Amino acid sequence: MHGRRSLIQNVLLTGAIILLLIFCLFPFIQILSTSLKYQHDWGNPSLIPQKINIDAYRELLGFSATKEVEIPESIKRLLENPLLGEEQKQNILKKYSSTGDLFPFIRYFINSFLLSAGAAAISLILALFGGYSISRLRYKGRKVIQRGVLFVYMVGGVLLLVPLYQMGVKTALASTVWGSVVSLLLIYVIQTLPVSLYMLGNYFRTIPYSLEEAAAMDGCTRVESIYRIILPLSVPMMVTVFIYCFIIAWNEFLFASVFLRQFPDFHTLPLGLQSLFVSKNAIWDRIMSASMLTLLPVVICFMFAMRHLTGGLVEGGVKE
Amino acid sequence: MSTVKLKEIYKRFDETEVLHDISLEIKEGEFVVLVGPSGCGKSTILRLIAGLEEVTKGEVLIDERVVNTVEPHHRNMAMVFQNYALYPHKSVRENIIFGLKRAKVARDIIEERLKKAAKMLELEDLLDRRPSQLSGGQRQRVAMGRVIVRDANLFLFDEPLSNLDAKLRNRMRSEIRKIHREYKTTSLYVTHDQVEAMTLGDRVVVMRDGRIEQVGTPMDIFLKPVNIFVATFIGAPAMNILDARLYPGFIELEGQKIAVNNRVEKIFVPDSGKRINLGIRPDFFIDENNAEPGASLSRIENALIDIVEPLGFEREIDATIGSQHIKAKLDLRTTAGEGEKINLCFDMDRVHLFDPETGRNLACDAA
Repeated sequence: MHGRRSLIQNVLLTGAIILLLIFCLFPFIQILSTSLKYQHDWGNPSLIPQKINIDAYRELLGFSATKEVEIPESIKRLLENPLLGEEQKQNILKKYSSTGDLFPFIRYFINSFLLSAGAAAISLILALFGGYSISRLRYKGRKVIQRGVLFVYMVGGVLLLVPLYQMGVKTALASTVWGSVVSLLLIYVIQTLPVSLYMLGNYFRTIPYSLEEAAAMDGCTRVESIYRIILPLSVPMMVTVFIYCFIIAWNEFLFASVFLRQFPDFHTLPLGLQSLFVSKNAIWDRIMSASMLTLLPVVICFMFAMRHLTGGLVEGGVKE
Repeated sequence: MSTVKLKEIYKRFDETEVLHDISLEIKEGEFVVLVGPSGCGKSTILRLIAGLEEVTKGEVLIDERVVNTVEPHHRNMAMVFQNYALYPHKSVRENIIFGLKRAKVARDIIEERLKKAAKMLELEDLLDRRPSQLSGGQRQRVAMGRVIVRDANLFLFDEPLSNLDAKLRNRMRSEIRKIHREYKTTSLYVTHDQVEAMTLGDRVVVMRDGRIEQVGTPMDIFLKPVNIFVATFIGAPAMNILDARLYPGFIELEGQKIAVNNRVEKIFVPDSGKRINLGIRPDFFIDENNAEPGASLSRIENALIDIVEPLGFEREIDATIGSQHIKAKLDLRTTAGEGEKINLCFDMDRVHLFDPETGRNLACDAA
């Protein structure tokens, strides 16, 4: 029979898939494992922690009280010096007991989430209109626009970084917090729009035009037929596009690092992670659990997308 | 119920003109069938009336009002699409009542019409299913249901049965006939199937290459085709078109002299020996052995039978006379077999004479 594999081929294929899976999944398992280990366990090559430690998670998620920071003996002696004014003493104390550069996971998470979800929503809405237009309407320059949009995708982010920041500065957007956020939002939308347009445009083409004609005969205007017929049929692709945009924005570091550098309260998770790596709080379990928590929404998104990507909604409506 | 009038309609797609000077009138409550080979522009006419295509030149009038620029959703028509075009994400019930809900018809009226349509189309047990869970015939019935629940001015059918198998097609054909008898809505039906055209239409419009060839009742079209195209397109098997010459008093066909009657005399063309095409429907032949004695029938002699196809009650034979082929549908009393010769009789009143140059029916030109 055509396409039937022999036993050896099966074994080889399965082996290759397993190898590939291990290669892809090992870093994640390593992250998870390290994030759950106690300090004495870090050097242990075993992936299974000897004893589970979830302190780092509790700390990041704000479930544990702020750790009492131990002040070194020499500093204590220094503080006892009567020549020091009260204000100076407080300053020194503050410096040593401050937990400000500890990873404020919840805040970063909210920043990242709002920025990513906002960019994904805007990109999706624009792509819905644009995708419909390039797939259904006939007008001059349609093909040029369709291809022109993809051009953005051909230019690497690094190349655009400086000109875009300059634009931000010249329009005074980059000088304020909200201006920077808006700039970043716009950049994410522009970065994700080409592929979103492409995905949705192509998906709309698979929906028979006669369905819209049937809706028109049933009394619907064009806009009505879009939201009553086309959109419900496009839910799987809309979810996919949203998740695609969301993940791109969620993982984005380069532009965020430039536009948000001066506004620590607005840092996103990738920025936060980066600063955590180089801070005095850079402890393995904390770094790894923060990484794990950053990964989690992406994994959830993927699982959600998989469920919706089964497709088949258009099936049965028309005779092929 | 509405009237439809097409006035000198032209339609162009880019550089191609697909409809040339179409004028047609559909009366209130009439069932008109547009029939013709694929690509003849019949579906385009339907879509122009529906408003799904724009007219290049000419006027479409619904109830004496020009609707050229009226959007489809304002025309209050209902249409059955060739590919059904059911909403895949909606159940059968939702598909059927979508238009009514959209028009904000009262709920009890919707329920009543849904019930009536479902009963008529035997969809009662399928109302909660999705289109993908239905067979082709069931989907077709849903598409029909979507049309009949509407209080539309005009029903449009775009080859609704072409995707069904022969048995189902017959059934649905009667169904459509029943629907029209019940609702009496003005209907326009497009098909390439001449049987549908003949059985369904109050009037039939035969089209070719973007032009109307003939408009008439099914029997008009069948018995008085205006040209060779209509004559051969309508009727199965197709009409025999034989090369012959017309002389005063007789027709010469492959060396045989066939006497003509008064009717043919009347359409006699002055130049004796003129080449003509003789049109005889296969159904109008009778085996000479079975002809009633004394009946005044004309005769083609010694046709050599090539093939005999027994079709139960009838026998279809392919025969040759000289260099020309003849098809005849004879009754089962005919015993002549393949390779034998047969004399075929026919009534001269059933014969058509066509001009070989123009294809026109000479009887029409004489009239």
